[in-house]
Order: sequence, then structure tokens, then C-alpha cells
Amino acid sequence: MIKNYLIIALRNFWRNKLFTFINIIGLSIGISAAIVIYLIVNYDFTFDKFHKDGDRIYRVVSNFTYQSEIGYNSGVCGPLAGAIKNQVPGVEITVPFFGIYGPDVIIPEKEKVSEKYKKQDGVILAGPDYFKLFKYEWVIGSPKTALTEPNNVVLTTDQAKRYFPSLQYHEMIGKVIIYDTLKVTLTGLIKPFKQKSDLTFHDFISLSTATNGSNKALFSYVNLTSWDHTNSVSQLFIKLLPDVSPKLVEKQLKQILLKNNPPTPDRKGSSHSFVLQPLNDLHFNERFGIFDFTANSSVASKTTLFGLLVIAIFLLLLACINFINLTTAQASKRAKEIGVRKTMGSSRWQLIIQFLTETFLLTLIAVLISIVITPNLLKLFSNFISSGIKFNLPHQPNIVLFLVLLTLLVTFIAGFYPAIILSASKSVTVLKNQSLSNNRKTRSTILRKTLTVAQFIIALFFLMGTILVAKQIHYVLNKDLGFKKDAIVTISTPWKNNNQAKRQVLLNKLYSLPQIQLISVGEDPPLTGGERFTEVSYLDGKKEIKSNLLLKYGDKNYLKVFQIKLLAGRDLLSSDTLQQMIINDTYAKIIGCRYAQDAIGKYIDMDGKKSEVIGVTADFHEHSAHSIIKPLALLSIGIDKNNSEFHLALKPQSADGHEWKTAIAGMRNAWKEVYPDNDFDYEFFDEAIARQYYREQNTSTLLTWATSLSILISCLGLLGLTIYTTNQRTKEIGVRKVLGASVTQLVTLLSKELSLLILLAFVITTPFAWIAMNKWMQSFADRTAISWWIFALSGGGMFIIALITSGFQTVKAAIANPVKSLRSE
Amino acid sequence: MLSLKNISKYYQIGGNKSFVLNNVSLEVEEGEFVSIMGPSGSGKSTLLNIIGMLDEPSEGYHYFAGNAVHQLKEKQRAALYKQYVGFVFQAYHLIDELTVYENIETPLIYQNYSGSDRKAIVADMLDRFQIVGKKDLFPAQLSGGQQQLVGIARALITKPKLILADEPTGNLNSKQGIEIMELFAKLNKEDKVTIIQVTHSEKNAGYGSRIINLLDGKIDSSIKL
Ligand SMILES: Nc1ncnc2c1ncn2[C@@H]1O[C@H](COP(=O)(O)OP(=O)(O)OP(=O)(O)O)[C@@H](O)[C@H]1O
Ligand SMILES: [Mg+2]
Repeated sequence: MIKNYLIIALRNFWRNKLFTFINIIGLSIGISAAIVIYLIVNYDFTFDKFHKDGDRIYRVVSNFTYQSEIGYNSGVCGPLAGAIKNQVPGVEITVPFFGIYGPDVIIPEKEKVSEKYKKQDGVILAGPDYFKLFKYEWVIGSPKTALTEPNNVVLTTDQAKRYFPSLQYHEMIGKVIIYDTLKVTLTGLIKPFKQKSDLTFHDFISLSTATNGSNKALFSYVNLTSWDHTNSVSQLFIKLLPDVSPKLVEKQLKQILLKNNPPTPDRKGSSHSFVLQPLNDLHFNERFGIFDFTANSSVASKTTLFGLLVIAIFLLLLACINFINLTTAQASKRAKEIGVRKTMGSSRWQLIIQFLTETFLLTLIAVLISIVITPNLLKLFSNFISSGIKFNLPHQPNIVLFLVLLTLLVTFIAGFYPAIILSASKSVTVLKNQSLSNNRKTRSTILRKTLTVAQFIIALFFLMGTILVAKQIHYVLNKDLGFKKDAIVTISTPWKNNNQAKRQVLLNKLYSLPQIQLISVGEDPPLTGGERFTEVSYLDGKKEIKSNLLLKYGDKNYLKVFQIKLLAGRDLLSSDTLQQMIINDTYAKIIGCRYAQDAIGKYIDMDGKKSEVIGVTADFHEHSAHSIIKPLALLSIGIDKNNSEFHLALKPQSADGHEWKTAIAGMRNAWKEVYPDNDFDYEFFDEAIARQYYREQNTSTLLTWATSLSILISCLGLLGLTIYTTNQRTKEIGVRKVLGASVTQLVTLLSKELSLLILLAFVITTPFAWIAMNKWMQSFADRTAISWWIFALSGGGMFIIALITSGFQTVKAAIANPVKSLRSE
Repeated sequence: MLSLKNISKYYQIGGNKSFVLNNVSLEVEEGEFVSIMGPSGSGKSTLLNIIGMLDEPSEGYHYFAGNAVHQLKEKQRAALYKQYVGFVFQAYHLIDELTVYENIETPLIYQNYSGSDRKAIVADMLDRFQIVGKKDLFPAQLSGGQQQLVGIARALITKPKLILADEPTGNLNSKQGIEIMELFAKLNKEDKVTIIQVTHSEKNAGYGSRIINLLDGKIDSSIKL
């Protein structure tokens, strides 16, 4: 029976090649998208799922409220771990550990520091408790003893092989490894987690090395005494006893904090609290990040993942709609076969199963095509798909299962309704040579129209969204930020092995490059980089105005390099100190100066010292468009500051445009002469700014794809339907032509319905799109307008695309010779 | 074999009942060969479809092989149909997408015959109708007479006790028509198959054992030959 179904299915596919083609293309696109998105979502949602009692594991993190602003820190103050151990009964295990920023690793047997062990990440200070909480497979050593003594280290086997490429595991034990200056002995080897995990550490130095106090620098690094200092390297994980509420523990932690660090008058308006972050939130919470001392661990955005899911569902729906539309349109064509089968004894169920078999076959073909396409899609989107995402069916039984379920689901969604419609035709009506009864015909035509409108709605929605996102990105990237963006290169001098003399040498060498116009030495450039606030006050008569001032550090060339406009006063001089400051216009207004000039000479109280306002700049954007312009001050900093950044203004390029390349090469040479041990790194300022909007850029790319694909699928469906309806109306067209209708009149007649459908879709989509746009725009303080033309352009564009799609077929039908079509009747 | 008691069939047209069949009563014994005649629109096809349970009467009682059809559920009616009835149509109604062989085989599939049984039965049938050479052709590649032969072969494949034929020779030339009629007569005599056919031709009606004349949805006359 199945064989018979398959045969007739294949013959039907062959007979209706175009419809088969349209259906397969649409389904392949939808299914490929579903696979890729499943891979992404599945990847991000399966981090750290394998830990025993993972639902009871939390990270303790810190929230700081200052006035109405909240700051988030993934670390806690050092003494908290000890306090929890002694005072919070609901906690089963307390695991503090400390990240160490990029130490250079030296294996003493080698004569020289080898290049590849520089700036290692994934190095932490941890105690035996860490391995009680997170179970690793131990190759050598024991979780109980390996890290109890000071100056011991445990490595993952991967890392151990890097350090000791020529040794067997058992030969490595007892070897000495030096982290910067800290000498430790290897006492254990573990296997890294096989499953996906954000815990990617591979060097575990015993925590007692730091806590026993013999190493002063490390002892202060882990800070076991001060409740006032919170560093994000100071991590704390806890495992609660069963049935202990995290809210309760948070309350207890608050009590502990109040007892040990009671609020003082000078900290008015600020507060500090601890929050338990569930382990399964680690991978997603952008406020706290994962671990900022390890590389390659970026937080996944649940919103983005949700958006992706929606896109996948929509694309699949569009493909299913095509299938439903094209199949029910053909119903009358197949009605005869169905009627005959019924008179030969087929039950309705058998017919339904027959049609579902056909749908299944078609879906299966699409799935097979998708399996071939998917690896290429992953390559195409490699920019924003994590490199950990792989498509390798034989090793991914869950994906095989997903594909099986997806095939069945699509078969059901796409095939069920047509199967019901097709199998419902009564044998008598069919055999009497009336096609489907009138009643049902209109019902399925109405359904077809509804579905077509639904397709347009989805496509229009994506289209409108795409245009808006593109408009916003264009707006934020191209609007006047109040400073110059292009032809500026930033390089950061190193942390270590650096001193003022070296920096001065580098500066001189750079100035000797002919392509460089001007260099400013300071800290972060505008907009990009970190932000530092300090509380300042200004005495306006008797009234004290307190503000949270954003601090920028630069030198006499800072404003010139970035071409920030000075409204009043003077620029910084080399002789200026922290007792002189340049403020922005916003702050000038805050301290009550209507005109910039009025602010000059005023004194601002900062950290107990007076600082004189010597200049006022025009406002420039110091944050991405997500937030508003805040009060800001530029303070003088000299070349004496370690790790200072150089901002180099380049001369304009000539037409052939080689100067900048030459300049970069020159910078590299200069750098190598001064810092032979450090890699040369540079960044063009405008690229750094664009990077601030990488999330929006990704959204834009994704939306563009979603839009193009949804329009493609819908138009294919539309093409199929048009071909079908014009074929149906061939006779009518012929008669009308004989009666004297012109081609234009006929085309208008044939396109009228389509136009109405698009108009309806437009009317329905616009308000929803408008609401969604407003919602999205809420995350920007600085936003482009949601202009009427976004809607007009989308609607018009959709209309034109649809008309072109159907137009070819329509015109062909309208100009056909009527004699032919009528004779065949 | 079957009996109709006061069967009526009407359509509601603008509030009025428009009768296609009006109070028709009819008995057909096993082994009969009945021809139904009458002008176009008199309700012959409707009557035949009702007898074959493809259509439902608006009123009346219908007994088939001892079952009260008017009381049966759709499913039971279909089972009865499957067991007893073979249909032959004026327009053949072969499935265009299937070959001759597959067309003839299809009813067996719905009767859940095994693959090897089906092969044997179909091969027999192809032999009997001398169309073995055509088994892999599609309906469009056959002449009208050949298509009707396939249609009849398909109707006979499940060994029905009753064959219902609606103008089986309507689209054929007279020579082809005679062949089909002789085939029916032989089936009726040798295999004891009950046959009810609708025809416009006196000559074809003459092959049967009884002629029923329909006029305006009523039985005008019933003549035993
Ligand atoms: N769905 C319907 N609605 C209204 N009237 C119908 C419908 N179907 C059939 N009829 C009417 O029923 C009558 C009988 O139809 P039927 O097909 O039984 O006639 P017939 O005797 O087989 O005619 P012919 O010799 O032309 O095949 C016709 O007058 C037809 O108009
Ligand atoms: Mg008829």
C-alpha cells in the first residue's frame, strides 16, 4: 500500500514539477533555518547542564546602587566566603576562587621564556572545595590533597601537554612552573570537561598559596579583610542544601554585610547587596558576564535566541503555507483520483494517510537538501555563530531526533489540512463530473487568501523591521557625535616592562613618521573604553550641587586630535595637573551656568580637593546611543602614567591610499624597537565605534536574511498560485478578450485581488510593526524617527515585488490568443 | 439481493423540493441482469448511485444483502460496498497517474490482499481480458474501448457479487459496445454475477433479463424478458 502511495506521489511530483520545486525550495529554506537555529539555541542552552545538583549551585555576585544607578559586579568582597562558611547554615559548600589576569608562564627547565606561554588565561587560585563542587575526572592526584598545600598547581591534561610536550603525564608531576614570579609544583592532572561549560580554567593554583600570607602581594590580592573592595576576579560559588530558598540566603548575606560594613554618612544614597545568580543564568546574564579574566567567554543573549526562534518558526510557517495553498488549489485536479479511489473501496483515512505520505516524502526531500546546505550556512554565518557549534549528524543523536520530529511536525502542519480537504470530496459529485462542491470551493479559497495575507504580513513585518534597524544603525554611526572619528589610530602601551622613558622614546619615534599629524597621550578615547565616575560637588552660593562626574584623561592634544569643540576657556597645557579641568556643556548647565563662559574659573570639589574649570567643551557623545549625554570632565594626564594610550591623528590619504598602510608599518617598527616582547596592536577609532553596535549590526544582518528569505518563499508561493489561477481563468480571459477587453484591462482585473490582499496585509501589519519598533527603540536614548516612509517604502516595495512576481504570468495570460484557449474547451 | 422501498431523492431548490426520484420501489434478485432506461435527466444515474450506496436517498428504505442500509453508519456501508459492489463508469474513471496494472491492482490494496496474492490475481485478470501487453501503459495511452475494458477488469478484480454500470458503452463505438455487452452476459451466466446497467440503447438493454423504464423519477414500466 505504501509503495503504491509512494509511486503515485512521485508521479504527481513529476507531473507538477513547478509546484514540487516551489514547495521543496520553500521547505528547504525553512528547515535549514530551523536546523541552524536549533544548533545555536541548543548550543547556548546546554552550557553547564551536567553538574550534579546544578540547580542548587549559585554564584554570589554584587549589586551596587548609587543614586538611581545600579552597578553590577560578578565578584564579591574577599571576606564574604569565610563569613558564609561560618554563619549561613543553608549552604552546603562554599567555593571562593580568584582569577589571575594573563600571567606569563615559565617552565624553568627551558633556558628562555618561550613565546607561547605569555599572557595565559584560565589561571585561577582555587582550593580543594572547588573540586568538591565541580567534578572533574582525575588522571593523576586526588581532589582532596592536590590543592591543600600552598604553592601547588593542578593542570588540565591539555594545558599540561602544552607546557611539557615531551613528557608522559606521570613524569610531569613534581615539575616546577612559574607564574610571573610565583613558583609552584605540579601535583595533579585532570581531564577538561567533555561537555560544554563556561568553566574553562586549566591552571588551578592552590588557594592556600595566597591565604597563608607568606606571599604579600597575593595575600592582598585575595583581600580577606576589607568589605569595601570588590574585585570581579574574586569569585564565589555556593551550593545550597536541598530546599533552601536562595531569597532567604540573600537576606542572610545582607545581614552579614550590614554587620560587617555598616552604612556611614558619607555613603548616603549608595547601597550594596549580594545576589545569588543561578548556575544556569551564568551563560546568559550580560550584567555580570561570565568571567572577565578569561578570554572567549561571551554571554549569550536570550532575546537574540528568542528572536532567532521566531524567525525559524516564521520561515517554516511560510513554507507550510505555500504547501497548503498550492495543494488545496490543486484539489479539483486530484478530485477525480480521489473519487475513483473511494468507489474502489478506499476509506477516508486511507486517503488522508496517502496524502500525508506525499507530504512526508516532500518534507523528507527538503530535509535531505537542508542537511547538505547546513554546513555551508554555518560557514556563511561564522561571524556570529560561535565556533563551538558543529553540524555532524553521526555524532549528534539529538539533532537526528530533532530532524525526525521536525519532519513529522512539518508533514503534519503542511499536510493535514490539504489531506482533509482533498479526502473530503464525495465520490458521487466527482463522478458526476462536477468538481468540488461550490461550498467547499469557496471555503478553501477563503483559506488560501487568508494564508496568502498571513505570508504578506510576516514578510512585511520583517521588511519594516529591517528598514528601521538599518535606519537606526545608519543614524548612530553617521550622526555628528561631537568629535572626529576617522583617521585616528589608537595604540595602548603595555602594562608590564614599561616606563616613562620607553613611552617617550616611542612617542618620539612615532612623531618622526611623516604620515602622523598629531599624537595625544592619555586614557580612553571618547565613546569607547571603560568609564569612571566620581562624585563631585559644586557650591553655588549656599546650595551644594552634587553630581556624578564622568572622568576622561588626556593631554594638551586630546581635544585637537578628536576635534572636540572648545566653547570657552582654554585647552589643557602640559603644566596642568588634576587641579585643572575642562568640563562639558551639560555639566556647565548643571552647575547653573547659562553660558559656557560663566563656568570658567569656578571651582569643583573633587575627592576633597578643589579643581578649577579652565575650559568648557561642546557636548559630545560619551556613550553609545543607548544612553544620554552625562556630565563629564577632562583632566590632564601625562606620559608618566603607566599603560597610557596614544591617539594618533593621521594625515589624509592621497588618492592611491598607501600612506596609512605605510604608517601602520612604521608604527609597528617603532613599537618593536621599544617593546620587543609585546605584540603590536592597533585599532582604527571609527572601527572601535562601529564595534559598539555589533549587536545591532548582527540584528540587522539577521533581519536582512530573514526578510529576503521570507520574501523569497512568499513570492515563490505567489508565483505558483498565480500560475494556477490564471490557468483556471484561461477560458474567462479568452471570452473577455473576444468581447473586447484590452490587455491593460485584463491585467488590472487579474491583479486587483492581489492588490487588495497586500493592502489588507499592510493595514494589519503596520500597527504591530509600529509597536514592535517602539519597543526596540526603547533601548536607545538617541533614536532615529520611526518615519512614515518606512511603512510606505515597505508596503510599496512589497506591492511591487508581488506585482512583478505575478505580473509576468498575468500578462502572458492576457496577451494569449483567445481562439486557442476557447477551442480547447 | 437488494430491495428499495419508497425511495425518494430530492434537492431543495428555492424552497421547493425538486424530486429526482419519487417514491421508487424495486427488487432485484441474485443473478438478474437488469437494464435501466429512460430519457436524460430522469434519474437513472441517481438511482444507480443509491443502489451502490455512493449516494444517499432523501427518504425510503434500502435493503442490501439482508442489511437495512438506511440504518447503517457510513463505515458499515463502506464495508458492505467493498464486499459486494463493482462499479463501471461511462467515463471509465481510471486514475491517470497509475498504469493499467496499478489501476487494476488498487481495489485489492484497499481489501488488504498481500503483495503476492495481488500479483497472481491481477495477472489472471490481465490474461482473461487479453491486455497483458498493455499492463505498463498509462490510461492516456489506451483507446476508449481498451480503457473501458480496464475499467471493467478493475471492477471485477475483487469478485463482486453485483456490478453496477452507468452507460458503460456510452463512449464506445458499436463494435466495442457489443464486446462489452457480451462480456457482461457471460459474467452473468457463468459467474452468476448480478448486473445492473444504465443504457440508452435498446439493443444493449436486450442483453439483460429485465428492463426498467424511468420517467421523471418514477418507474414507468418493468418488463421481464
Ligand atoms: N446537486 C443537484 N442539485 C439539483 N439537482 C440535481 C443535482 N444533481 C442532479 N440533479 C438533477 O437530478 C436529475 C437526475 O439526474 P441523473 O444524473 O440521475 O439523470 P440521468 O437520468 O442519469 O440523466 P443522463 O441520462 O443524462 O445521465 C437531473 O435533472 C439533475 O438536474
Ligand atoms: Mg446519467
